[in-house]
Amino acid sequence: MDLRELFAQHRKDGRVVAAALILVLAFLTLIYYLIQRGRDLPSVLVTNKVLLFVLVYADALLILVILFVLARNLLRLWLERRQRALGARFKTKLVATYVGLSLVPVLLLFFYASELLQGSIDRWFSSSLRSVLAQSSAVAQSLQQEIGDRNYREALRVARQLSSIRFEEPESRAAISPRLAQWRDESGVAFLGVYLETEFLNAVVDPQSGLNDLPEVGRSFLLEAAEKGRANRVLLPAGSRGRLILAAAAGAAPAGTRRPLVVAGTLLDPVTSGLSEELIQSYQTYRQLEVQKRDFAASYWLMFVLVTLLILLASSWAGLFLARRLMLPIQALAEGTRRVASGDLDQRIEVATDDEMATVVDSFNSMTQELRRNREEIERSHRELVAANRTLAEERALVGAILENLAAGVIALDRDGTVLSTNAAALDLLAQKAEDLIGKSLAEAWGGSERARLEGLIAAAQDSPREAAEVSLVLGGERRTFEVKVSDLRDGAGRGAGKIVVLEDLSDLIKAQKLAAWTEAARRLAHEIKNPLTPIRLAAERLRVKHREGDPGVGELLEESVAIIVREVGKMQALVDEFSRYARMPGPQLAATAIDGLVSEVVALYRDVKPGVAIHTDLAPEIGEIWVDPEQLRRVLINLLDNALEATEPPGEVAVRAERRGERLILEVADAGSGIAAEDREKLFLPFFSRKKRGTGMGLAIVHRIVSDHNGAIRVSENLPQGAIFTIELPVR
Amino acid sequence: MLVWSRFLILGLALAASAEPSIENLSVTVNGGQVLVAFQLVNGLDAETRERIESGLPTSFIYELELMRDRKHWWDRGLEATVLEVVAMYNAVTREYLVNTKQGGRLIESRTVRDEVELERAMTVFESFPAFALEGDQDHSRFLVRMRVGLGPGALLGFIPYQRSTPWRESNKVRLRRPEP
Repeated sequence: MDLRELFAQHRKDGRVVAAALILVLAFLTLIYYLIQRGRDLPSVLVTNKVLLFVLVYADALLILVILFVLARNLLRLWLERRQRALGARFKTKLVATYVGLSLVPVLLLFFYASELLQGSIDRWFSSSLRSVLAQSSAVAQSLQQEIGDRNYREALRVARQLSSIRFEEPESRAAISPRLAQWRDESGVAFLGVYLETEFLNAVVDPQSGLNDLPEVGRSFLLEAAEKGRANRVLLPAGSRGRLILAAAAGAAPAGTRRPLVVAGTLLDPVTSGLSEELIQSYQTYRQLEVQKRDFAASYWLMFVLVTLLILLASSWAGLFLARRLMLPIQALAEGTRRVASGDLDQRIEVATDDEMATVVDSFNSMTQELRRNREEIERSHRELVAANRTLAEERALVGAILENLAAGVIALDRDGTVLSTNAAALDLLAQKAEDLIGKSLAEAWGGSERARLEGLIAAAQDSPREAAEVSLVLGGERRTFEVKVSDLRDGAGRGAGKIVVLEDLSDLIKAQKLAAWTEAARRLAHEIKNPLTPIRLAAERLRVKHREGDPGVGELLEESVAIIVREVGKMQALVDEFSRYARMPGPQLAATAIDGLVSEVVALYRDVKPGVAIHTDLAPEIGEIWVDPEQLRRVLINLLDNALEATEPPGEVAVRAERRGERLILEVADAGSGIAAEDREKLFLPFFSRKKRGTGMGLAIVHRIVSDHNGAIRVSENLPQGAIFTIELPVR
Repeated sequence: MLVWSRFLILGLALAASAEPSIENLSVTVNGGQVLVAFQLVNGLDAETRERIESGLPTSFIYELELMRDRKHWWDRGLEATVLEVVAMYNAVTREYLVNTKQGGRLIESRTVRDEVELERAMTVFESFPAFALEGDQDHSRFLVRMRVGLGPGALLGFIPYQRSTPWRESNKVRLRRPEP
């Protein structure tokens, strides 16, 4: 059943219960009225068996109704408890408490009223009262008895006097007429009559007695007297007030003849007879009540039972109704909670009350509404998250595919330097397996091998967001040159999560560059060699012409030509020597060198060399000593300062700066010259490349060679607003 | 032990003898009249006498049913009648008025003056014409069964019920068609 229907039914129950309570109240009022009126009702009605039947069956019906209501509700409670229905225990306690609280006082009241009634009835029928009434009745009946006996004696006396008369003879009957009045006067009775069994013969009445007419004594009376010789009757004579007490006596008669009967009557005056009858009737009434005492008590007791049962029915019904009314919203809440717990957040409870339970139910409805909104929000977020994860997975797969297909090696490190992931190209470049690299620190993966140089480079870039260097390693018996780029790996919040190392194999490129460089060098060498050869060939040819012509000035020409040839050969010799020196440049002899002292020493050589061009040095104090070949580094500085001074026109400034960035030394020489065109920067460090009219073009080539031999790097950039900056990066160890 | 057993038997016999019952139930047929004679024994117990003496109307209700006898089967009811005898005592005249009704109609009213006559008037019936037969039923056997309602009693002192004797069956008679 839907909760709404349950509450609708609950409201109907309320109306039914209210109507039932009103009916019970009206019924109780009727019973109270009847009990009050019962005092004035005749006892016959009170002790009426029909009333008893009605009361008994009304009681029985009520008992059945109460038992049905209680049994039905108790059975329902029992079933609910057995099924572990929500709120069943609380409902049971509530019903038991309410019924118990109403049952005890009602039963006490019933027993007290019953005892009170029994005591009252016992007092009503006390022995003293019975004795008084019985004696009063006996006195009244004794009076009648005494009058009757006296009448009988008088009738018997007259009957004896009539024994000599033969009543079968008509003349004899007439003889009694004058004597009859005399006998009546002598006896003092109000009526004296003579009968021949049932046949009337004669009679006289005393007019002063109040008896106005002859009474009809009745055939049965006469027959009884004739049969038994005596009979008594009490009559209510016509036309008179009071009672006529008759006595009949039979006289003697010859065998075969009818017996004469004499009837004597005394009229009790109305007052005496009334009092006498009242006394007798009072005792009779008392006896009737006494006989019906049990029915009388039973009637009232059944009324008490009826009232008690009605109150009990009303109280138990009200208790059950209140328990149900109280439990309905609680059960609805419990059911709603259970449904909410099972995921049904569309649950809403409707309560048609305005008490505290309505507040609780409203809170529950608000809570479920809030939960539903939250769940919808969570579901929406979940869908978005799933979509984002799917996108992320796709992107990750794409990135993975890109990484896997990337020619460059990529290695991801966490903050502790442990390898998180790598791509196939990195494993291929480093000639390692994934299990030897992933999940291990760099020291574990590369320690004690040629790759340890990479570890040093990465360690040097620890404090720098982005570092790049060229490293030449011998891996698998083959020297390979890598461009190593180390950059920060940041999470979504921009926090450092580790490092990304990108390895790019420059070996082939360098080979190609070297080939191109050597080709260029050969071309330039040939060009440089070709330049002196032309004057030499021209001088020799002109000398041969002059000699064939026999020119007298051939001697002077010879001197001049020889001088040209010697000069050009000298140039060629210098060129060859320079190239030879470049080719034979030895490897660096590393030693702990104080960079600031070295720089200051070289700068001192060029200070004031070019008037108008100042040399400014900016050496960081924390540089300290690094491991370099001091002679080769001095030659690098000389070459760079020489070029800078030559490029910078006065007034100008050449700056030399040195600082330490992590594990790397940064050395910069900046000039304020015309700068270097972009197209020349690629060729700048090649042998025999020079933008100057004089010079061999080997200076920057030698600088590049020395820096490379130190595992360092050199690059040129624009010095804004004017000039160029040569930046050298060297590892400190 | 033997003494107690005798006392028990005597008590049971007295209890059984004190129970009201229908005795001497007999049926005779006179023409089309079914005449019933019976006697209610122990009908006027002390409680009933006290009730009568108090002046309350006290009645015995005799229920009579004329049955056709059927062998090996239940008898078939043909007719039923109710005879009600009501006694009322007048303490002033010291007479008992006994009214007899059949089917709610007064058929006799008499006055008696002592208890012996009263008991006889209320409990003894001789040749009471209970039923009038019609049709040819000469080959059937008939009987009359009856019981007496002794007035209301009270179970547990407060639950009223109708006291009555057990049903009693008469002898079986065969009716004969009157000679034409």
